[in-house]
Order: sequence, then structure tokens, then C-alpha cells
Amino acid sequence: MSLVLDVAAGAVGGGTSILYAALGETISERAGVINLGTEGCMLVGALTGYAVTAMSGNPWIGVVAGAGAGGLLAALHAMLVIERKASQLASGLVMLFIALGITSLFGGSFVSRTIHAFTPIALPGLSKIPGLGKVLFDHDPLTYLSFLAAPAIWWLLFRSRWGLLIRGAGERGEVLAAYGYSPKTIQYLAVVAGGALAGVGGAQLSTAYANSWFEGMTAGRGFIAVALVIFAAWDPLKAVAGAYLFGAALALSPALQARGYALNQFALDALPYVITVLVLVFLSRKRLHAAPEGLIRTLANAPAR
Amino acid sequence: MSAISSALRPPRLRSAGREAGRIALAFGGALVVFGAFVIAKGANPFTVYSDMVRSTFLNSNSIAGVLVKACPLILGALAVAVPARAGLVNVGGEGQIVIGAVAAGGVALALDSHLPGGMVILLMMLAGAAAGAIWAGIAGVLRLTLRVNEAISTLLLNYVAIDILLYLIYQPWKDMHGSGQPVTRQLAVAARLPLIGGTQVHAGIFIAIAATLVIWFLMERTSWGFRLRVVGGNSEAARRAGLPVGRLLLSAMLVGGALAGLGGMVHYAGAELQLRAGMTANLGYIAFLASWLARHKPIQVAIAALLLASIAVAGDSLQINSALPAATVNVLMGLVLVAVMGGWGLRKKAVTV
Repeated sequence: MSLVLDVAAGAVGGGTSILYAALGETISERAGVINLGTEGCMLVGALTGYAVTAMSGNPWIGVVAGAGAGGLLAALHAMLVIERKASQLASGLVMLFIALGITSLFGGSFVSRTIHAFTPIALPGLSKIPGLGKVLFDHDPLTYLSFLAAPAIWWLLFRSRWGLLIRGAGERGEVLAAYGYSPKTIQYLAVVAGGALAGVGGAQLSTAYANSWFEGMTAGRGFIAVALVIFAAWDPLKAVAGAYLFGAALALSPALQARGYALNQFALDALPYVITVLVLVFLSRKRLHAAPEGLIRTLANAPAR
Repeated sequence: MSAISSALRPPRLRSAGREAGRIALAFGGALVVFGAFVIAKGANPFTVYSDMVRSTFLNSNSIAGVLVKACPLILGALAVAVPARAGLVNVGGEGQIVIGAVAAGGVALALDSHLPGGMVILLMMLAGAAAGAIWAGIAGVLRLTLRVNEAISTLLLNYVAIDILLYLIYQPWKDMHGSGQPVTRQLAVAARLPLIGGTQVHAGIFIAIAATLVIWFLMERTSWGFRLRVVGGNSEAARRAGLPVGRLLLSAMLVGGALAGLGGMVHYAGAELQLRAGMTANLGYIAFLASWLARHKPIQVAIAALLLASIAVAGDSLQINSALPAATVNVLMGLVLVAVMGGWGLRKKAVTV
């Protein structure tokens, strides 16, 4: 397979976990709550998904458990920032700490366990399309599910009544309250849903992509997802492109090494983060205008100049 | 009786007492929840806690360990506090500490066998602070020119800094005469920060204390500190009043970065003595939490850093005495912060920073 196709296929497989986290964070931020703990939600999702898969023998049960764990951690974040008005950024980092500790406490015994992981399923017919087939239609079931999740969440946010409420909570909570809705409840639901999706992303990482668990395995993917949401201007469909861009940066290193190119591995490892910063730079000027009003207060507490 | 005495006490003292009580309550709550986790792992929480206290506070080695860990933590926490006064969120302490250690390490590898030790230490301090300032400055400039949110950019730059460290210790700076581990050679003895009275505590603690006092003075007693607070409070008003808002924000970021970079240098030249993977062990993130815990007031920030340093050292006792992974202590640290942050909401006044 050519290098381009190799990297493209790797981009889709490797970008999926970030895509789930970014979709979740989009919902949460649309409701006005930024969750830096997305990294932590992914981490607990990855361990819970892996552990439950190991114990039950069924990766689907693992994914559901991973979603639950991510949602639970996000609920704690929601409580701190919504009820207690704690700083969103600081509270998110605290969630990361709790996740680091809990996964280290309970993860040790799963490091060397093997599991019945998700296996790639080549979709009949579609996977035979030259080029595209290998890139898009030879993946694990969670990746296929993410193809559906992105448009579904776009529809939820921009075409459904729920979406109106979520965006309302993020822009003008007091208007929702005037119509008899509780903006707090809606924010809670959005943050928990966001954490659950990050948990699914983490579970995809451990049970479908890496097929293993090790401490700190998310390696900043949750932070990348938070950055993605900003440069995707809080649009789930644009987040897809961003997630695959990061996935491609991840896939580049092994693909080049497999071909014997002697490129610097550490430069390649730093690439995803550098690319994310650069993309933020190029897209940043207009982005803040698209931000939900409630978020601007968190993100832009100091002026541009 | 107590009602009378509390009425006679000045209100500021009373609220300080209430605050201390709240923190104690928060701490207790966190200990109870953490105890549940310990039970879930099949250990006895009472034994675990008494071991933690005994091996952390009743043992001169661990007290020294707390002070050693507190050096980079205090500097890293001040690195968060200064930008926070101007309303900026610096989550990049980890990267700035790493890059400061790398710069100090570079100076040492090049010069420590050619120049007198004191001179090398001075150059390492300058290099560490400059590197940290540059690393934070990148995020500051991006913020000012292109409106890239500094919380996100500093976070991502942490990973880039760690990759730079890894590259250097695996390739050009690797110790060729060592055991083959990816580490640099040990810093020359003359260029190490001097140890205090036969303990492992090094002179870095004086640097940290001095930095705390200087930052307190700058923040509370100079017009620069006052202007930063004005910008942090209401940037639009600051602009209308004719303050150079952009320059103030950048200066806050640069000073913050320099402090964290200095923290990296102190950690390298006082405790680690060589560059290795994972040498910073989340210090930058713990420092971030210390600053938020103390609401960015310099003296309190240093005390909070000392507190978190002792929890981190207590984590080592978990590993030795209870066979729990050392990182477990992150749960306890996180729970303490959850409890304290949750407690803030009980105040009538909204917390603005």
C-alpha cells in the first residue's frame, strides 16, 4: 500500500478516539462548560473499557462501562463548576488528577492482561473500492459508529429541540429560565454526555486501537480534542476533519519507520501537538466570534491587545 | 462566651478562622473518600494514614524530601499566579519547567568542567529562566497577536517540550559512558546547588523563598503589580485608562515562564543532577493546582505548594508501606482540591479568580 493510503487509513483509525472526545466536548462547550478533564474522562474510559472487556469477554459491554466511567467523572466536574462556580479550567485539571490516580490504583493488574478486543471488519463491497475502501471501510465497529455519530450530533445540536436548549444554556441561560427550563439541568446533561463520549473514545483507544492498557496511554489526546473543538468552531462535522488530521500526524511516524526512512522519531512525536498549535494559529482570528457566549467569559477573560 | 469573643474579634480574623475551618473540613472529607478507595484495594486506611504521617512528618529524610520537592513546586506555582493576576491561564508550567531544566542541562554539559562552579550555577539560572520565559512567551505572543487561547497553547507546548527533552537524552546528550540508559551524565559536583547542613535539602529552597518574597513585593507594592490586577479585573477599563494592556499581559507571561524555568533549573541542579525522562513528574500541573488553591496570592501560594509537596512525598510511603502505586496519591490530591473548590461556593461573595 502506498504511504499516503497507509497514513490515511491510520489517520481514521487513530483519529477516532479523539473524534469521540471532540464530539463530546462540542456538546459540553455548546452548553457553556469547557472540560479540560476530557483527558481524564478518556483515561478512565480507556481503563474501564479494557478492564470490563477483560472480565466480561465482550468489548461492547466494555465500551458501555467506559462511557459510564467518563460520564461519572464529568458529573463531578459539572457539580463543581455549575453548583459551586469553581473555575472551569482548574476543575478540569483536578479531574485529570483524579483520573491519573484512579487508573494507576486499579490499572496495574490489567497491564499484562490480554482481551478479546474489537477486530477490524472489512465491509463487504465497500472495502473493495480502490484506495478509499482501505482507508474508510476496513476498521473496528467503533470507528464505523463514529461515522454516524458526527452527523447525528450535528443534527442533535442544530436541528433538534434538545440542541436549541443546549445552545440556549450556553448563550443565554436566563432566557431559558424565563421559558421555564432549568439551564443548570441542561448543562449537567451536556457535560455528562460529553464525558461519556470521551469515555467511549478512551475505550476505543484501549479495546480497538492499541488493544492494551498502560498508564497515561491517552498521552494528551483529550487536550488535543479540546483544542480541536475550538478550531472546529464548535461544529461537529468540522471536528471530524481535525481529528483525522491529528490521526494522520500520529500515523506518519510508524508508516515512515516501516519504510526505513531515518527521520527523527521525537520530531515526529511532537508533530501532532505542533500541528494543533499551528492550525489554531491559522484559524484563530475569526474563531472566537463563533464561541458560545458563556464560553467567551471563560476563554477570553483577558483581551487580545 | 464564645459568641462574645467572636463578636469582639476583628471580622477579618473571624473570616480567616472560618476559612481555615472550611479547609480542615474539606481535608477531612477528602481523607474519608480516599479511605474508601484504599479499602477497595484491600488495604486498611488507618494503617495507610498512620504510615503516611509517620514516614512523611516524623522522619527527617522525608521532611527534607518535602522541601526538595517544594522548590520547583513553589516556583512553578508562582509561574501560574503572576499571569493569573492579569487574567491569563498558564497551564504550561510542566513544559516551562522541562525546558528550563533542559537549558540548564545544556549549559552544564558545555561548561561545567571549564568554569568555576558558582559561575556555572549563575549561568544555569539565567539560561533556565530565559528558556522558560521564551516557552511561555510563545503562548503570550500567540494570544496577543492571533487570539489563540493561552490555556490551550500552553498545554500543547508541554508535550512539545517533553519531546525535546526526550530527543536530547536519547540522542545528542546521552551519557555514552553510562549504563546505556537514556540520561545525561551527572552534573559536576562543583556546579551543584550546595546542600544545607548535611541533608539533601539544597540551596534552591532559598531561591524559592526569595522568589516568593520578590513576587509578593512586585504584586502588592509596585505599580506593575497594581496594573496587572487592573487588567485582570477589567481589561476594557484598563485600556480606556490608557494602560498598555498588551505589554502588561506579555510581561506577566514572561515573568511566569521565567519563574517556572528557574524551577526546572533548581530541580535539575539541586535534586535530579541529570536529565532523564519523567524527571518533572507532573510538577507543573501540581503547581497549577497549588496556585488555584491559594487564589494566586504569592505567600499563600507558596504555602499551598508546600502542602501539596508533602502530600506528594506521602505518596512514596503508599508505595513502600502499603504496596499501592505511588501515583495513587494523585487521587488524594484531587479529592482535597475538589473539596476545597466545592467549599468556595459556600462563600457569599462570588469567586472571581
